[in-house]
Amino acid sequence: MSEQPVDVLIVGAGASAAAFAWSLAETRMNVLCLEQGDWMDPNQYPSTGMDWELRGFGDFGLSPNSRGRPEDYPINEEESPIAVSNFNAVGGSTILYAAHFPRFHPADFRIRSVDGVADDWPLDYARLEPYYALNARMMGVAGLAGDPAYPPKEVPLPPVPLGVLGETLARGFNKLGWHWWPSDSAIATEPYEGRAACINLGPCITGCAQGAKASTDVTYWPSAVRRGVRLETRCRVREITVSDDGMADGVVYYDAQGVERVQKAEVVVLACNGVGTPRLLLNSRSKLFPDGLANGSGLVGRNLMFHPYAMVTGVFEEPLEGYKGPTGCCIMSQEFYETDRSRGFVRGYTFETLRGIAPVSTALWGMSSGQVPWGAGHHEAYGQLFDRTAGMVAICEDLPESHNRVTLDPELVDGNGIPAPRIHYRLSDNSRAMLDHAVARGKEVLEAAGAKQTHAEPLLGIAGWHLMGTARMGTDPDTSVVNEWGRCHDVRNLFIIDGSIFVTAAAVNPTNTIQALALHIADAIKQKLENLFD
Amino acid sequence: MSAQTQAPAFSPAEERALSSVLDEIIPPRPDGRLPGAGELGLVGYIASAVEKAPDLRPALVQGLAALGDLAGRRGSEGFATLSKADKLEVLNEVATAEPAFLPGLIFRVYAGYYQNGRVLEALGMEARPPHPEGYAIEPSDLTLLDPVRQRPKFYRKD
Repeated sequence: MSEQPVDVLIVGAGASAAAFAWSLAETRMNVLCLEQGDWMDPNQYPSTGMDWELRGFGDFGLSPNSRGRPEDYPINEEESPIAVSNFNAVGGSTILYAAHFPRFHPADFRIRSVDGVADDWPLDYARLEPYYALNARMMGVAGLAGDPAYPPKEVPLPPVPLGVLGETLARGFNKLGWHWWPSDSAIATEPYEGRAACINLGPCITGCAQGAKASTDVTYWPSAVRRGVRLETRCRVREITVSDDGMADGVVYYDAQGVERVQKAEVVVLACNGVGTPRLLLNSRSKLFPDGLANGSGLVGRNLMFHPYAMVTGVFEEPLEGYKGPTGCCIMSQEFYETDRSRGFVRGYTFETLRGIAPVSTALWGMSSGQVPWGAGHHEAYGQLFDRTAGMVAICEDLPESHNRVTLDPELVDGNGIPAPRIHYRLSDNSRAMLDHAVARGKEVLEAAGAKQTHAEPLLGIAGWHLMGTARMGTDPDTSVVNEWGRCHDVRNLFIIDGSIFVTAAAVNPTNTIQALALHIADAIKQKLENLFD
Repeated sequence: MSAQTQAPAFSPAEERALSSVLDEIIPPRPDGRLPGAGELGLVGYIASAVEKAPDLRPALVQGLAALGDLAGRRGSEGFATLSKADKLEVLNEVATAEPAFLPGLIFRVYAGYYQNGRVLEALGMEARPPHPEGYAIEPSDLTLLDPVRQRPKFYRKD
């Protein structure tokens, strides 16, 4: 069966697709988005029930391999110390993200020039700044102006509350004379554009039942749909098809009933994240593109970057009220963000403080770390941990390396029989040194804040939240997959707008930059409509 | 109603043994402020978990059977009727002989116990999920930022 052709077909409905579709809607072009997941029902989010913590290990878990949702696809991670974390729904991984919403630093776009490593981006901070500002207004970013780690920036909403925990850690940073600042958070701390204000539920990372967190199903998408964009759910795209002249002409997908369908389009836009996008390109083999679509450079799937995370947890004497407030957003520090080669590594990391953990998680962490035994000593040991823990993660800049890549698994397939992605990833010596440094500094600041004990996880294996670099941006078709406005060098009506196009990763959460890039690409398309394929 | 009736996750004997094991994993707090896990009806919670994820069942049932066997060798009708000291010894023996038994069980017991309303109230929380009431947090003391505000801009401009 063949549907009517559309002007623009977007694959995936996550962070980037939402911003892009909203921006393009003003053109009145016929825009269709196909998403393999569903619209989420906030009334069903875990925080509405007593079993909310355990559901974070189950149907709202981080890993698509264990979540058991039919809309997920499996990922072979046997050759990676970091597991991929994503979510497939309208809103994509913003359904589960913590809503940390920092920008890149200006120098993050030029690390070849400033530090002699990796590559410079083909665009700069000044180019993206208006889109960061627009995105802050659309998503509703909470924060505080005046951070000395950044150029001046627009922050529409007041910061998330620090709470006892945040203030305790802030005193630790102050004692050491280190930088800290309230986190930029995509959380409505006041009623904002029809969204209710945050009421400090805690578990942002299993979906926000309040609607205060800016997942794109409650920000861009409702507006985009009102403006005429069509969004079809439970549609899983198998491959992008090409015409005899080497242009993309549509996709083959499976609908909710598993029926194979064809959708033709003038322009195809990929927004499937840093794993899903290379998977789809590599699955789109044809006579004209035997190595996968848009892969003339051989770089599709290569240069995969995560952000390696270290975690340090402090145990304090006094209650910290840590179960109150956005779990991932509190304060951050960029004391060790910029390169200082005397530390033994190049580039740097951001510290992000986490709220404390709730009752079940305290018990389970206590069990797994050997701190809370079963039997006679249970209550005493538990009492020393509950509401007395504060965590900090270090989000480390990962440098692009060609051997870190996404390929297709020769055997593993999803529910529609489509070959699944396989991750090949090795932690670099530079990252290892950075993680070790972060653990040592993290312990130092927690102790300065009053922690009586600290516990470290030198590499957080579950933390493959940020998927970048697998279809990198550049001006040279031999060394990049897309140009500086997201158009594939090899296929002039095929665009990529997700984290795949990152050249480098910076040491901050990428969603704000992913969306700023998507808005930039949408504007570029609008400006070049007359000669888009030249 | 479904025409098919699912078999119960545990037999009555297994339930008795399980109930007794729960209090060994989380006993009542000596001052009475926190109940033991056995008091809270967690057998039903664990049975429900097993019904949802049947692959949990074999390790639990094997472990419970081993508890019964060892109790029998000590002349007891079952684990539940052993003395406190014997229960602990037997449980430790089974933990070694059936290594999959206790970790899976403890995970479920901890999860069920610490989401129970009585326990939450005893910990000083309210017996409710986070939504829809949420939590209040005192306004932030942003004077803590004063030393940071004194600092010159330090991002790289070169």
